[in-house]
Amino acid sequence: MGLDDLRLCTVCAANNNRSMEAHKQLLEAGFSPRSFGTGSSVKLPGPSADKPNVYPFGTPYEDIYQDLISLEHRKMYEAQGLISMLLRNKKVKKAPEKWHNNAGAGKFDLVITCEERCFDSVLEDLLQRMNNKSEEAELLDVRQAVHIINVDIKDDNENAKIGGKGIVKLVRLIHDYSKRKQEAGEALIDEDGYPIILEDEMMKILTEWQKEHTHLPTLYSVSYY
Amino acid sequence: MEDESAKVIGTLNEARAYGLANRESLPQVVKQILNFISNPNQSVQAWCAKFLREVFMEPSASILPAVKTDLALDALPFMVTLANIKDLEAFKDAIDVSVLVYKLAFRFVAENDGVNASSIWLHLVELRNSMVAKFDSQFPFELSFDLEKDSLRNVHAKVELLKFIMTVIDYQLRSSSSKYFLIARVSSEHSQMKISLMETEAAALLDVVLKPLQNDILVTPLVTATLNHLSTIVRRKRQFMDRILPLLESFDTETKLQSNYESIETFKLSKKYVDRTLRVLLNYMSKSQVIPPPFTNSINRKIALLTSRGDDIRKKNILQQGPADQKIQKRPFEGFQNGEKKLKSLDYKNLYALTDSSSDLSSFDVSNLPQNILVSMTLNALNRASSVKLSKALDIIATRYEGAVKDLSLVDTAKVKKFEDEEEEDGADANGFEDEIKYTLPPPKLLSKDEKKQQLNLIVNNFIDLANKGGKPEDIAEAPSSSGVSSELTKVVVNSWQPDTWSILLTRLATRGMRTILESEDTSELSDIIRKALLDYFLASIHDRVDVAIEWLNEEWYSESVTNEQKKKDEVTEKWYKKYAEDPNEDGNMEENIRKEMDSITVETPTYNKWAQQLLDALIPFLEPTDRKIFLRMMSDLPALTKSMVLGIKSLCADPARSKLGFLSLQYLIMYRPPVKDYCLDVLREMATGDQEDLKEEAEKLLQKYQ
Repeated sequence: MGLDDLRLCTVCAANNNRSMEAHKQLLEAGFSPRSFGTGSSVKLPGPSADKPNVYPFGTPYEDIYQDLISLEHRKMYEAQGLISMLLRNKKVKKAPEKWHNNAGAGKFDLVITCEERCFDSVLEDLLQRMNNKSEEAELLDVRQAVHIINVDIKDDNENAKIGGKGIVKLVRLIHDYSKRKQEAGEALIDEDGYPIILEDEMMKILTEWQKEHTHLPTLYSVSYY
Repeated sequence: MEDESAKVIGTLNEARAYGLANRESLPQVVKQILNFISNPNQSVQAWCAKFLREVFMEPSASILPAVKTDLALDALPFMVTLANIKDLEAFKDAIDVSVLVYKLAFRFVAENDGVNASSIWLHLVELRNSMVAKFDSQFPFELSFDLEKDSLRNVHAKVELLKFIMTVIDYQLRSSSSKYFLIARVSSEHSQMKISLMETEAAALLDVVLKPLQNDILVTPLVTATLNHLSTIVRRKRQFMDRILPLLESFDTETKLQSNYESIETFKLSKKYVDRTLRVLLNYMSKSQVIPPPFTNSINRKIALLTSRGDDIRKKNILQQGPADQKIQKRPFEGFQNGEKKLKSLDYKNLYALTDSSSDLSSFDVSNLPQNILVSMTLNALNRASSVKLSKALDIIATRYEGAVKDLSLVDTAKVKKFEDEEEEDGADANGFEDEIKYTLPPPKLLSKDEKKQQLNLIVNNFIDLANKGGKPEDIAEAPSSSGVSSELTKVVVNSWQPDTWSILLTRLATRGMRTILESEDTSELSDIIRKALLDYFLASIHDRVDVAIEWLNEEWYSESVTNEQKKKDEVTEKWYKKYAEDPNEDGNMEENIRKEMDSITVETPTYNKWAQQLLDALIPFLEPTDRKIFLRMMSDLPALTKSMVLGIKSLCADPARSKLGFLSLQYLIMYRPPVKDYCLDVLREMATGDQEDLKEEAEKLLQKYQ
């Protein structure tokens, strides 16, 4: 499997910070990820906690950027890292996308969420999708298994970077699984002639990764859609 | 075979390209390709599975739904064969195709109860049964004896297979909402589809898919997949809520056991993961209002429990050891505690033991049991053992045995190879290794005469040093034991080392040892080195070492006379045989003649004579008047005395201080050594006629007495 054959996406609440940082890092690592947000809209910090800057999904990062730098709190947004975050996002893709409307993106093999709330939201949405198709659509559809992994990342600049690094490592572990085994000179079949299959080893991979990233708690589920 | 299948696949690829380029011909192409599913070559079969998946599922194929149904009906008779390809990737493709074919064909039969209905329905049932049977197996792999290990393997295929079975359940059960396909639409008069039967079958299938939840270990990917997939059943088949909800309610990761094939960390993560998915499912059910009122409270409590458990874990490092870890129990192990495939030591116990060697059971000696009990125990055990497990056990033992035999033969072939190499020069051995380069040491240079002497001197000196130290065995044991030579070897040299063992060795070396080599001047010279050393050793302390000297000279005489006698005998025999060959008719017994002639021959011992003479010549001048015992012993114990040796005594008699010793020994020899009596009398006569008055007197006295 080539790096871009693995259909994967990252998911956070607003598709601005954590999922975008991971998106960027995965791109740089050679993967072709997508990224989404599970929130109802894109909420960015405003002048105070109860006055966030809210944009609908689909608003280009460029527009959000222009909007923020024209506001009176520009200095504050700069200090918070919001401005540099948007500058980065602009380079990665056009606009934040909503998870729930991503049917057009096709089905993913691997979904990495960045917050437990998002993980729950993705799982619930998949359950919903399994039941919401029209009779005709369902007749011609074959469900596809999808692995959903949550890597819990605190929503700030620095943690997004650390988390992104962890995600790249995890995706690499999963993607290169059989290749690594082969390179390590290990047999790709066990003593009973079973191949060493990624799905069978997923829990082992997650355990190994978790041991090295104790500050990034995980969740995992296999679902369909 | 390989070439042939590559050719077939090449043709198939062309057909595929043509079909995809000419949409209107695609159905025809597919129909043609279906015939290749039963191709004996697996790679061709796998190609077909992949192609069908592409046609049915990829949007790029863009086939109209009506055409898809036609194709599904065409493909249906081939589906069981397709699903039986023993290849994981092909099996996954086959599952996806089967799901679609099943749905399309099912709906077609439901709506068209025509002439073909019965054959389509039969194929559908066959496909369903084939797939369901695989869920309980390890297809496309084999079941092993260890169900626990199996349940953790081939998870991928099971996750995929779940899609098919869930589809069957969905299609064969009445739905509670008109949004989905309704079995209710099927006419109750349908010739093939019997609703009540289908519903019974589907209910049984529900039990099948719920099994992973009831397993005593957590196979997380499969359990979460099952929970997530259950969302379709709980939304559509409310009539089964009574069955599913109690199961979900009682499902508790806390009651699960840690698998023997996973670490405690993995198990802890599994519990957390499964709890979360269950919580999401229950929340979803609650939001979609599918939970019947009697369950609402208990399910809400369950959600609250799972939430607080999750919040708890969130706060701490889940992998860290905690007091809760103590409660984790492992599943009883079904495998072999000692499945090691390499023998640790070469004995039967290690070869056959599959149990834990540290358990008490291992030390129990069954040979103490009466034979009849033993026999019935064995029969009982064999009867109860599963054949899969037994054959696995035998496999392990066979592997151990083969490994051990291979290890042993490696040692042997190394030895044998050396001989083989000498014969065959091409140098390629059984393993195909070329050993063109042979490392051989040059043959040792022959030692020159001087070098031999030097070497022998060294050896002799070592012996003498040893003798001077008292010849104690402790001194011998100083042989370098660290040099890789086992201490056994140094011990065996002499069975039990006595303080005088060295002298036996050395004397034998001088005599028999040297004689085994071709006799030449060289060897006699070398022997003389030893003899000289022995002589010097004796002379250095005659009082203590008379035993050594006597031993040596006895050996000297014995070996020389035996050798020389044989030599003479050979000569005589040869002579007589020659005579016989010249004149076979001459009278006389040849054996007798040989014996007679041998009797008449005196075997000479010149070497002995020479050295005994030297010894006496050297000894006599140093004898003290008090050395009576030593000298008499010497005179009596030397194996042979020549006239010149006896003559040597004369010098003793002539010395006033020691003349007593001289006469005493002559008297002794006359009395106790008849063969030399004449020599002694000759000596006495000589003295009696001599000019020394005192000697005359004594000599005449003895002559009178013994003449």
